[in-house]
Amino acid sequence: MSNTAVMENQKPVRRASGRVPWLDWMVMPTLAVLALVVGYPVVYTLMLSVQDYNLLDIVPGGYVGAGNYSSLFSDPVFWTALYNTAVYTFGSVFVSALLGLIFALLLDNLAGPQFRAVRALLLVPWAVPFVVVAFLFRYMYMQNGGIVNEMLLWSGLIDHPVPWLNNAALAMPAVMVANIWAMAPFFFLLLSAALSGIPNEVIESARVDRARTWSMIWHIKLPFLRNPLIVSSLLMIIANFNDFAKIWAMTQGGPGFSTTTLVVYVYRLAFENFEFGYASATGVIWLLLLLVFAVAYVRALRMN
Amino acid sequence: MTSIHSCRRVSALFATSALAMAAVVTAATAQEKITLTFANWASAEAATRPGIEKVIADFEAANPNIEIESEAISFSEIARQLVLRVRSGNPPDVSQLAGNDTFLLAATGKLEPLDEYVARLDVELTGLEDLRLDSKLIALPWNHAPAGLWYNKAIMEEAGLDPENPPKTIDELMEAMAAVKESQPDVIPLGLDTTNRAFSMSSNWPWMRTFGAQPVGEGATGAESPEMKAYLQWMRDLAQKGYIDPGRKIGEFRPLAAQDKVAFHWDQVLLQGVIQSTNGMSDEEFYEHWGVAAMPTGPGGESHSFEGGHQLVMFADSEKKEAAWKFMQYLATSPDAIANYTVSYNSSLPPLQEAPEALSEELDTPIFNAFRERIIPTVAPQPYGPDFAAASTAVMAGVQQAVTGTEPIDDIAASVQSQLDRQ
Repeated sequence: MSNTAVMENQKPVRRASGRVPWLDWMVMPTLAVLALVVGYPVVYTLMLSVQDYNLLDIVPGGYVGAGNYSSLFSDPVFWTALYNTAVYTFGSVFVSALLGLIFALLLDNLAGPQFRAVRALLLVPWAVPFVVVAFLFRYMYMQNGGIVNEMLLWSGLIDHPVPWLNNAALAMPAVMVANIWAMAPFFFLLLSAALSGIPNEVIESARVDRARTWSMIWHIKLPFLRNPLIVSSLLMIIANFNDFAKIWAMTQGGPGFSTTTLVVYVYRLAFENFEFGYASATGVIWLLLLLVFAVAYVRALRMN
Repeated sequence: MTSIHSCRRVSALFATSALAMAAVVTAATAQEKITLTFANWASAEAATRPGIEKVIADFEAANPNIEIESEAISFSEIARQLVLRVRSGNPPDVSQLAGNDTFLLAATGKLEPLDEYVARLDVELTGLEDLRLDSKLIALPWNHAPAGLWYNKAIMEEAGLDPENPPKTIDELMEAMAAVKESQPDVIPLGLDTTNRAFSMSSNWPWMRTFGAQPVGEGATGAESPEMKAYLQWMRDLAQKGYIDPGRKIGEFRPLAAQDKVAFHWDQVLLQGVIQSTNGMSDEEFYEHWGVAAMPTGPGGESHSFEGGHQLVMFADSEKKEAAWKFMQYLATSPDAIANYTVSYNSSLPPLQEAPEALSEELDTPIFNAFRERIIPTVAPQPYGPDFAAASTAVMAGVQQAVTGTEPIDDIAASVQSQLDRQ
């Protein structure tokens, strides 16, 4: 029997009869819910983004076409926010992934209760709610009485307390440290699981070939970790792009605009100035940028 | 047997009728009972919750046909939530508001003008003029809470300063702060809110005005005026000399003030209540320890202050306006509410031209007298309105840049102005 004949024989009977399978109809409620929960806000945001719509105005906003977008592109705060978003997102994800990888490799193959305890301890920051992380670090960074300054003063590394969150140059790195502290355990967890999934035969044959530790990491383990690392990084890039709680609780986007990211800027525009039209235009740009990473994420998943 | 049965039947009939009558009466009473929704942050804050709950309970006892449904919303969230509720057609009947938030809500056109209601009052109110928009009264003053320069007499004495002679000019203030910094390095010389929010702009507005600066509003001279640059430079000096602790909200200085960690503090009249509830000081101890004065004068030679008091607004969509007004009137003007909440829990001044005799003793304190006589006359109106929040973001971002960065003041002023121009 030829291949074509086999395929023809395998065609579903229902489809051949021209009717839509009942299982296909089962997805309709899900699609309807998605259209309502995701589709409607997106479409409404697109519509608002071409209007001069302020929630405080008694008269409803009018159509301004691309007016909000052209204002946005000449808005220096928007560009600052975009730059800060990139620094915060990629910086945090890169360092967290690196730390997670280092800890995962260091603790790989180490058995015993003491190492189990270390693993558990390393995962604790991931369990702390983001807002708690933000307030924890905010108080640790305080100029007067913050533990970070107290320890640095005590050790003689600094003469005067450092205004970690109140210095335009230091605020972003300080917020990122808090973010990295909270996020690195995620990478550690994921990469540890991926390491334990490397087939024993591969490790054994490398040992038989007398591969050294570094060679084993570089040629055996890292290639196995490549895909989990890409997928988890993309996931975290998307999550950090949307990270509002930590930044707002720690600095509210300041001092000046030094930690204002896109999500903080959208919040200020929409819920402090009530400029829903302009905020929606910013939101659309933000959505488009997120879509790029979302598509990359889906592709990475398919590749896997 | 028959007579026993018929007797039981009659009794049952009576009992049923009585129950039915009771049900009808209850239903009628329930129908007559008016439920008012009251959005406020007084019941969201632990310090004021018992006070407002007592006042509401007293009002309900005196007005059995009115029930108050208190909706606790935090101070920082209330404007956002109310604007969204107004737009979705679901506002409360009455709300507590303050500062620019009152004017934000008024901009929606959904606040009931109160001129006719106030005209019916048999007491004279203060502070009405600052609550007018397009000549309509948009809110009822609930209390007055202007800001003054609080000074810690113990810290001043330890710094070799005269505790009964607080600084009267900016230069004297700088000298006093230098003395404090030198003698007590752990003490924050000046508690000043430099966060980026509309309240912070309100709080800093009098300092800008004392330098003659007016970045926005009617008669504005912009952010690049020499006066505004002088103010920004002064703020930078304060930070560089370690006289202020940037980034703290006003409320975060209050516990420190209660622990003698703040020498001078720019705060509202309610600070007394917060300090006493934190450290348990008696009134006498407090007056020995703390004093309050008008803002030191700057190059313009004038003191300024801001009104941080709370207002009550009625929403135009309310279907129970008479009951709502009765409740608002009770909160703002009744001696019981003033004694049990305004003065005791909120440590603020009532909005009455003449205080009720029953309260004259409670209101005759060194702090209240200083506010009434020397500080309230310096309260300057602010450019409140729909654009104030956006202007605040731009101006306070500039203040933060001046305080925390090294960028030239000219560049910061130009950046603030360019943002103001975009609005």
